[in-house]
Amino acid sequence: MNAFSLAWRNVWRNSRRSGVTIAAMAFALLTMLAYGTLSEGMLKKSEASLLDLEVGDVQAFALEYRDKPSLYERVENDAAVIGALEEAGMPVASRLLGSGLIAFEQNSAGANLRGIDVLRDARVSKIGERVVRGSWLQPEDIEGVVVGYRLAKILNADVGDEVVLLSQAADGSTANALFTVRGVLGSSTEAVDRGGVFLTQAAFREFFVVDEGAHQLIVRRSDGESLAVTAERVVKLAPGLDVVTRRDLMPTVAQMLDNAEVSSAVMMLIVYTAIGIVLLNAMLMAVFERIREFGILKALGVEPGGVLRLIFAETLLMTLCALALGLLLSIPALWYLSSVGLDIGSNVDFAGLAIDSQWVAVVHPGAFVNPIVTLVVVVFAATLYPAIRAARLEPLEALRHR
Amino acid sequence: MTALHRRHTLALLLGIAATSLLPGAAWAEPPADSDPGFAVYVMNRLDDLFRGKSSHGRSSMEVKTEHFTRTLEMEAWSKGTEYSLIRILSPKKEAGMATLKAGNDLFSYLNKTGRTIKITGGMLGASWMGSHFDNDDLVRETRLSEDYELALTYKGTVADEPIYVFTLTPKPDTPVVWGKIETVIRQSDLMPLRQAFYDEEGERVRELIFGGHRIVGGRLLPTTLTMKPLDAPGEYTKFTYHSLEFDVDLDDDFFSVQRLKAL
Repeated sequence: MNAFSLAWRNVWRNSRRSGVTIAAMAFALLTMLAYGTLSEGMLKKSEASLLDLEVGDVQAFALEYRDKPSLYERVENDAAVIGALEEAGMPVASRLLGSGLIAFEQNSAGANLRGIDVLRDARVSKIGERVVRGSWLQPEDIEGVVVGYRLAKILNADVGDEVVLLSQAADGSTANALFTVRGVLGSSTEAVDRGGVFLTQAAFREFFVVDEGAHQLIVRRSDGESLAVTAERVVKLAPGLDVVTRRDLMPTVAQMLDNAEVSSAVMMLIVYTAIGIVLLNAMLMAVFERIREFGILKALGVEPGGVLRLIFAETLLMTLCALALGLLLSIPALWYLSSVGLDIGSNVDFAGLAIDSQWVAVVHPGAFVNPIVTLVVVVFAATLYPAIRAARLEPLEALRHR
Repeated sequence: MTALHRRHTLALLLGIAATSLLPGAAWAEPPADSDPGFAVYVMNRLDDLFRGKSSHGRSSMEVKTEHFTRTLEMEAWSKGTEYSLIRILSPKKEAGMATLKAGNDLFSYLNKTGRTIKITGGMLGASWMGSHFDNDDLVRETRLSEDYELALTYKGTVADEPIYVFTLTPKPDTPVVWGKIETVIRQSDLMPLRQAFYDEEGERVRELIFGGHRIVGGRLLPTTLTMKPLDAPGEYTKFTYHSLEFDVDLDDDFFSVQRLKAL
């Protein structure tokens, strides 16, 4: 008789046991798929919010700025550097940075002022897309500001309100001016949430009496180019500046992103091992429950190889059923995780990076490879030992087995 | 600009008045310099130099830093330790700006926006009007004779001037910022000449130089005070009193947020 048709019958002869084994495998597959896509989602999200909102890939400053941030430490030839970098095909934008006080009615708070080149900034940063109320800055708007959402909350100010900015200008005079809140940002980074005040570069220059130069240049790399290569090109095109990569700027987060794949793999190993043990148990039970049955087969003259083939055929059939079931169930599950996501409560702050409260999975075809391969390998590894034991059974002993 | 804390000095500069005491020059006879009470006597005089029940004066402030030099003209009023009000007269860009201290609160009237805002948090450590003083200096007060252990550590003649040097070390548990203050007083009239401020590591961080001693508002006073931050060579803030009168008639309402706008 064909091994497969016998195996098929065997599988369904004890439909409860086979059902439980198949369900365990399907559940294992589902768990691995959900875990894998969610951890990838977390990684993508951290990386995206970090790079897109704040850091870019490479930044350039005046030599002294990072040691001693000051209004006076500026890249003086910013226009020339931007020109050179753009000619070399790198998206780049300059920012002016200052600090001060922002006040609305009776409330005031410290503010990190960022004067941005609205059009260029959109090419290096997605901060403008983070506006949750109102709108982002318009290039010609010298009276508008966009603020972080926690800052808005502290001030009790919202879109349309007139806020006062106060600081010390570069000429020592007291800088003070009224601005209208044009927009409020959703969560991005801790610094922006709590104190970020974005205004146009023209407005910044007038407020702080700074005619030329910029404090920070943010550069994005071309697709596929490594960070180091981009940084080298920037160093060549922007001589005399302090050029740093995002790795230098946020070493903890960079390292975290680097290690994330390793740590995710470790977590996977743990999840897979736990699942392997469950499957091993199921397979062991499935074989050892049927020792007498295999003894009879042997007594009827079936070769050890035949027993082995039979057991593996059964396993293969159950695995296929489990894969079909698991993948079928994963369609609604992954759809939910990738579109709605998990609510992880209030915003989580992670190494200065605010992470959205919705944790969304990232699903792509590659995400299925590891779980499926792992499932098959684990199941067959788990079957191997009981199958060999069964194949080597002495018929008489097996028949006496209780 | 380094945000050193310069409490005592600015209280001195702005005539923030002590509820005490002695109008004019009605000081008791000093004890002998060998008397243990001598140091306390001299420091009390220094603390009360610019203080009265109330005061009103005109002054100018010259600020020189690595990046700019500027001069402001201002008018100031004070009453008790609670209230003081400073209005900027020039330069034009800042004319009309005013700073009000009422109790422990500090308000700033902004000429360009017509708003008054309360200075809090991080802004307290920021520079006041671009000078080497920070906003916190306006609010906090220190009384040398109460917050420091006083010792007469030198008596002699330097540059033809007989002087005393007092060394002040903070009393335990007193929240002051300096590790040590050296005060140079001239023997002839017990007027201050110089003060050197040391941080907690014993590093000399700034120097205050008193000059232009003359009679103003019925008192002998140093009319120029120059603060030099020693970590920024060449920088200074020089305060000059042009006129100063004491015990003028001022209501508490004078020092109100509403008043700031009306000025």
